Order: sequence, then structure tokens, then C-alpha cells
Amino acid sequence: MKKILIASMILCTVFVCSLLVFAAGKPGFDDKEIRIAQWGPQTGPAAPWGSVARGSGLLFQIVNDEGGIHGRKIKYFIRDDQYNPAQTKAVVKELVEREGIFAFVGGVGAACGMAVKDYLAQNKIVWVSPSTAIEEYVFPVNPYIFAVYPLYDDEASILTKYAVEKLKAKKIGFLYQNDAYGKSGLKGCKTRLKTYKMKLAEEISVEPGEKDLSSQILRLKNSGASVVIMWVNPTSAAIALKTSATIGFKPQWISSNTLSDYPLMNKITGGLWEGVITGAFVIPSDANHPLMNKYRNAVKKYAPEERFGVFYAAGIMFAEPLVDALKRVGPKLSTEAFIKQLTVTKNFQGIGSVVNWTPKVHQGTDSIQIQKCGPNSSYIMLQDWTPNDLATWKKK
Amino acid sequence: MFEMLLIEGLAIGACYGLFGVAVAIIYKTSDVINFAQGEMGMVATFVAYHILTVYNVPFWIAFPATMVFAILLGMAIEFCFLRPAKDPTVLGLLIITLGAEMLLMGLAGWKWGAEQKDFPFLLSVTKTHEIAPDLAINEWTIGVFTLTIIIMVSLFLFFRYSKLGIAMRATQQNVNAAKIMGIKVERVFSITWAMSSLIGAIAAMFFAARSVLDPNFMMEPFMRAFAAAVLGGLTSIPGVVIGGLIMGIIENFFGYAWPEWKPIVAFVVIILIITVRPSGLFAKHYIKKV
Repeated sequence: MKKILIASMILCTVFVCSLLVFAAGKPGFDDKEIRIAQWGPQTGPAAPWGSVARGSGLLFQIVNDEGGIHGRKIKYFIRDDQYNPAQTKAVVKELVEREGIFAFVGGVGAACGMAVKDYLAQNKIVWVSPSTAIEEYVFPVNPYIFAVYPLYDDEASILTKYAVEKLKAKKIGFLYQNDAYGKSGLKGCKTRLKTYKMKLAEEISVEPGEKDLSSQILRLKNSGASVVIMWVNPTSAAIALKTSATIGFKPQWISSNTLSDYPLMNKITGGLWEGVITGAFVIPSDANHPLMNKYRNAVKKYAPEERFGVFYAAGIMFAEPLVDALKRVGPKLSTEAFIKQLTVTKNFQGIGSVVNWTPKVHQGTDSIQIQKCGPNSSYIMLQDWTPNDLATWKKK
Repeated sequence: MFEMLLIEGLAIGACYGLFGVAVAIIYKTSDVINFAQGEMGMVATFVAYHILTVYNVPFWIAFPATMVFAILLGMAIEFCFLRPAKDPTVLGLLIITLGAEMLLMGLAGWKWGAEQKDFPFLLSVTKTHEIAPDLAINEWTIGVFTLTIIIMVSLFLFFRYSKLGIAMRATQQNVNAAKIMGIKVERVFSITWAMSSLIGAIAAMFFAARSVLDPNFMMEPFMRAFAAAVLGGLTSIPGVVIGGLIMGIIENFFGYAWPEWKPIVAFVVIILIITVRPSGLFAKHYIKKV
């Protein structure tokens, strides 16, 4: 009996030890490969944003075809989390502990990112370019997170400035989603208006699932707003535009970059999106730009089934500074060396805005472009990269 | 402004009412709340979308084809999911409908993807007719009012005077007694699900035309339509429609005055009314005496 007990104890100890070793995970690279990963909704309600993860994959494929980085190829993993934070946790844990991941890139979903932010930091895994603008990622500085997505309040501030100075708007309305995303936009707009001693003519919240916005739009119409800035999801935006057309309300609509996929927005609004002004964090996918031309050709070669839309291009843009820093690290790769190179990223520009990271500031940019939806969902450039002169985080 | 709020409130309310009727028909015959109702409508709308955009056929062909599909879908779900259940409790049947809901949503996501789509409906929400100075009504609203009235009156007459309608009511009151009286209850259930699916599909198409089409688009309307049906009284067809209209009006007027309270105000009113009248505003409240 005693022997059986001792044998069982030894077995248990071995099992627990093996679990601990397994939990520590493999190192994220070796002489032949660097393992990079991304979660993203490939199925489920947010699947249209799944193209972000696939876009990053395109850049890694290009890098590998060009010989890799200092002899190492990038091994890229995409996991479908269905836009569900519980799933994100599970897939990230699996990737870190089973595959051994060097760094994560992108990652759609504010709640999904928040669910794994601390886990990644505990495991000393770098996360470059989260695919959403969350202040908690970068303020206070998290040594492992480096963001390029412009903060929503910065973007709203720039768009409001454009509305007041260029469109000469005297009365501005604001339609926002009743959550952190919508409220960040509202905050940026109000901050900017204060500098002009102006107030919003109307500010109206909507719940993400609401299917009838007639009372909200009637209220905006009654306010006399000539410009309405909206910080909502694509479905709410489509309903808002359809309802406006019904009740004969024709303001200049302005929205965040989240609605800058013009072909999609025009499709779901039945053509009503034409004329809408949006912020943008990626140059138009049809732009005649050397890098964009290169990526467009690569899509034709590697992923002809993909629509080269704004979110696919965003995936590439999120991965660009990661590749740049890996190249600068040189052959002696380590997490510490990688972080060191990321923190000295200065004036890096791919197809997004200029990125600057320092040891104290991991928010890489506050700049957006301003674009307008033209005929046939074309992108009309209204204003090139514009920083937010009111961004308080830059002055810290 | 008052008139616009009233018209818009009545229009969306009529849509809730119409969809609520689809829920109520099944409840009237089997005491089951069909949680797959929204997704049945969603799948039928996707089929209409598919016929319209892939086969490029005119709406007057796509619409009846979709109606046939909706009827078959309703019968298939009843036949494949509910009928095989042995001596099911109401709770058991309810769980089965939840399972069917998940299945249909998964199927739609797999077949048509999650990306939002614009549903090319015959009646446009943007084409308006000015009926008075500063008061316009769109084609969609005219359509939903007309159809709701036609369906409500037809169903009222059907349940009151037709043999099948009376058989349905008898089945709801006592399945065994209905069987003894020679009513083929299985056929009654099948026809009930077909009718419900048909009306649900029509309502879902109206909802899709007003918003966008994706696998989740009927979740929120289902909740509101269900609440409206409970408000009016689940066993009263006119009550369900009036419940929907009340809900639409409350939402719109409160939504105008206090936008942030719009999503919940109708539910608060419903809770208050149900507390006083548990069977809803227009349904008769039966108390079984032992």
C-alpha cells in the first residue's frame, strides 16, 4: 500500500512539474523562425473585421518570400475568437503555452484585448498595434504594449476642427454609441468645441442593438445641426442614414475611421454613404503609393480571394512597425532587444501615419487623414495626416 | 414633429405587432414560446436576398418563393425538432426552440457570412410621400400598416370562423379532448408552425429593409416583439398588434424626450402593466379552480 502511495506521489509530482514547464511555454523563436500570432473574429457577428488578421498575414508572407528577417522566417498563427473575450483568453493561452509565441500583433476587439492584456504582460510577450484605441493599453505605460491606432478622442477632436474651420459649421450634433468607444469620441469633440467657445447643438446616445432610431434622428433634425458627427457601429450608422432620408434630414455626416470601409458602408446603406466624411488611419487602398501598390500586387498573388478593403490594409499597417523593429534588432534576437528597438522607433511610416514610440510613451500616433466617400465608393482625400494639437498625452 | 413621432412610432410598432403575431400563433396552439422565431425569419429573409441578388429575379417572384420556403421551414422545424420529443414539457419544448435558434444562426453565418448586407426590399424607406406640410410618410410605412391590418383581420376571422382555426384553438385548450373529437393535432401543429413562420418571414423582411441584413439582425426585434406580445396578451391576436403599437409609440415619445432611456422604457412599462394584468392588456385571464 505504502509503495503504491509513494509511486502515486512521484507520478503526481512529475505531472505537476511537467505542467509547470508546459505553462512556461516555449521561447517564441529559434534559429529558423519567429512565432507571431493574432486573434480575430473569423466567424461570428464581427467576422468582417477578421480581415485584419489576414492582412497582417500577407505582410509576413511578403517578408518570408523576401528571405525572412536575419535568416529567420515568420511563422504566423491566426486564431478565431469569434469576438468573444472568453474565447480570446482560451486561444491566447493555447498559443502562448503550446506554440510558444514571441509577439502578438493586431487583435480586434476592445473587450477581447482587455481580457488578455495582463496575461500577456505576465508572460513578457510583446503586443504590437492592438486593433482598437483603448487608453488603458498605453496609459500608464505598459512595457509590453505598443499602439498605433489613433485614440478616438484625438480623432474626434481633429474631425470637429475640420467641421468648424473648413465646413464652417455653426451647429454640430453628435450621435454616439453608449459605450467607451462612443463616449471617447464625444469627449474629443467637446474638448475641441470648448476651444471655439461652442457647445454641441445636440448629443444623442444609441444602444448598439437598436433597430429604430427615428426619435433620435428627429431630435437631431430639430436641433438645427448642419453637421452630425457619429461614433456608432456600421449597423447603427446605416439605420441612422436611412431614417434621415425618410424624415428629410440632410446634414453633413462625419464619422470615425471605424466606418471608413466605403464599399461596405455604401452597400449596406443602399448608396446613402456617398458624401460622408470619415477619419482614416490607413491611406486609401486604391492610392497610388509605392507601398500600397506593392501590397495590392501581393494580394493578387497570395490571396486573390480577399477584398483589399480598409480593414485588410489595416492588418498590414499594424504589422509594419513590428517587422521594422525586428529588422533593426539584428540576428541576436530577444524580447528585451525587441522592446528596446520598439521604444526607439522614430518617424517610421508605412501605409499609416508616422509612428513614434519612446520608453515613456507607447501611443505611436495621434494623426488621421480625412477622407470623403465619392461616387462608386471611391476615396476622396480631403486632408492629409493631421495631428491633434490638443492631445494632452503628448504633453505629459 | 408630434405627427412624425406618432407615425414612426406606429410604423415600427406595427412591425413589432406583426412579428409578435407570429410568436402568438404558436403560443395559442401549443403554449410554447418559439425562441427560434427571429432566426426563422432571418433565414427566410436571407433566402429572399439570395434569390434577389444571386438569381437576379424580380421581387414579385422572389417574394412568393420565399413565402413557400418559410412555410416549409416552419413545418420542417416542427417535424424535425418538436415532434420527435417524447412527452415533452413546455420547458423542454422551449429549450428545443433555443437549440433550433442556435442552429439556424450558425447555418446563416456559414452560408451567407457575417458581413452586413442591404436587403433590396420592394418598399423603400427613403421614398416618401408628403401627406401634409412637413409631414411625410414612406413606402415602407404604408406597406407595414396595410399588411398588418390585412394579416390581423384575416387571422381574427380565421381563428373565429374557420374549421381549422377552431381546431387550433381546441388543440390549445386540450390536446387529448381535441384528439377525441377527431382533430388531427399533429397536422394542426404543423400548419400552425407554417403560418407562424410565414408571418414571421414577412415581418423580418420589413425589419431588414429598415436596418441591415446579417445573421444577428432579428435578435433585438424578437425581444421587443415578444415583449409587445406579452403586453397585449399572447392569446389575443388583436391584443398583440395593439401591444406592438403601444410599444412603438412609448419608445418613440420617450426616446425623443430622454434618448438614453429609450431602450428600456418600454420594458419598464410592460413590467408595470403585467404586474397589474398578468395575461396582458387584452387577453382573458383564466384561473383554474381545483
